[in-house]
Amino acid sequence: MSTDRPSNLIKHPGQTSIASLENISDFSLNITDCAQVVVPEEVFFTVAAAGILENLLILIAVIRNKNLHLPMYFFICSLAISDMLGSLYKTLENIFIILCKMGYLTRHGDFEKKLDDAMDSMFILSLLGSIFSLLAIAADRYITIFYALRYHNIMTLRRALVILAIIWAFCAGSSIAIALFSYEAATVIPFTILFPLMMCFILCLYVHMFLLARSHAKKIASLPSSTVHHRTNMKGAITLTIFLGVFLCCWAPFVLHILLARFCPHNPYCACYMSIFHVNGTLIMCNAIINPMIFAFRSPELRSTFKKMFYCSRSSCNW
Amino acid sequence: MSSLRLISNRTSQQALSNSDYTWDYEYYEYGPVSFEGLKAHKYSIVIGFWVGLAVFVIFMFFVLTLLTKTGAPHQDNAELSEKRFRMNSFVADFGRPLESERVFSHQMAEESQSLFHFCINELDHMNKAKESQKGPSLDSNTHFQEVSKSSGVFEEDLHRLTKFNIPNFVNTEQNSSLGEDDLLISEPPIIL
Repeated sequence: MSTDRPSNLIKHPGQTSIASLENISDFSLNITDCAQVVVPEEVFFTVAAAGILENLLILIAVIRNKNLHLPMYFFICSLAISDMLGSLYKTLENIFIILCKMGYLTRHGDFEKKLDDAMDSMFILSLLGSIFSLLAIAADRYITIFYALRYHNIMTLRRALVILAIIWAFCAGSSIAIALFSYEAATVIPFTILFPLMMCFILCLYVHMFLLARSHAKKIASLPSSTVHHRTNMKGAITLTIFLGVFLCCWAPFVLHILLARFCPHNPYCACYMSIFHVNGTLIMCNAIINPMIFAFRSPELRSTFKKMFYCSRSSCNW
Repeated sequence: MSSLRLISNRTSQQALSNSDYTWDYEYYEYGPVSFEGLKAHKYSIVIGFWVGLAVFVIFMFFVLTLLTKTGAPHQDNAELSEKRFRMNSFVADFGRPLESERVFSHQMAEESQSLFHFCINELDHMNKAKESQKGPSLDSNTHFQEVSKSSGVFEEDLHRLTKFNIPNFVNTEQNSSLGEDDLLISEPPIIL
């Protein structure tokens, strides 16, 4: 690609004769006017590998530590699994493209198309799984705060597992359906409406919790012997903004891409937006890296489990 | 015109065939996009989208900060009465023994313990805040103590209301700098 471009640029752009291939490549010059922004493969693989490793660590830690067999950690595990799937998809797609470039696979074969469809459905599964896991985590925290006294009766382990099974079955079914019928507007529109709807719902849950926490802090501050610092209120606002800001910034570009690809693929502005598709994919993988830091690593119990795991592996403890 | 488009389609695929990640274009089948006569900058959607996103996130942050500073004063009264109602229902719920649940490990019991302490502490605060309603609160307070003593696990911890630190559930340290920060992270503590 890089060797073709300079020769195209030298040619006169005004030629309209269709006899020669070179003039038609002038036409293709217009297509590549907004060139695809290419993310280097090393960056891609590094980000994907980091995401997969981090989420795998969380899964292992939750499985090994019996204290972490709680609904809250199961929901965090579900988020880790969906992040892992997203990074795995990108890695497989990259490998697939490298194989295509090296000639082991053709571009137009049936098998490749089916494989591509399967990978697309894995990616949509990851997106839906992410959204619903975040929703489940928010709902779990909401119940913890507003129904604190009955939490253990409302959210038992069995119910949490049933909820997770329902969520993943729904996501799997929808992802297969969306991947099969992805060329129709009827699938794209619900898909893109789901995203802001879930965002708003999660935002409302967290804001309500935030208001309760603030009123608690006010009550404590009104006590004469209170030593709570006023800055903790600001911290809550920052934390909530980070939560939702990260989710928005990582997923919204991709959702917009899908919308534009469906409704205005020939518009030059839309085409320029779609040329940064791989940056959007990298952002989604960055989300897989950031999510554990926001959700999982804040738990002291999980952190101590990690320390035990690492120190044990370093100083061969008794296995 | 249509034949031109056909040829240019094939050529576009060939021209892109040496580049990375052209697999995506297989299904979109873009025709030639003309970039002539653009009124605005060609990356205007990209710029507009990211600027809009940044503005929205900053706006959300300011709204949350404003909620921090001001907020609705009437909500405090509503919360208090709601809590009192929940205390009463809690007593009713807690009639059956904890040990009937097989999932209650020691940590679970500790967490329920922390809930007790939350209730009792809340009641203490309500008592301090509203002297006139001391009567019924004290009654439920003593009732709590009876219920907790009958379970037999929480006796010695009733005296240490602010000391324990249950990592997964409730953080009752008043001096903790985490405050509401923890609320929104993995364990939402109830700040006492």
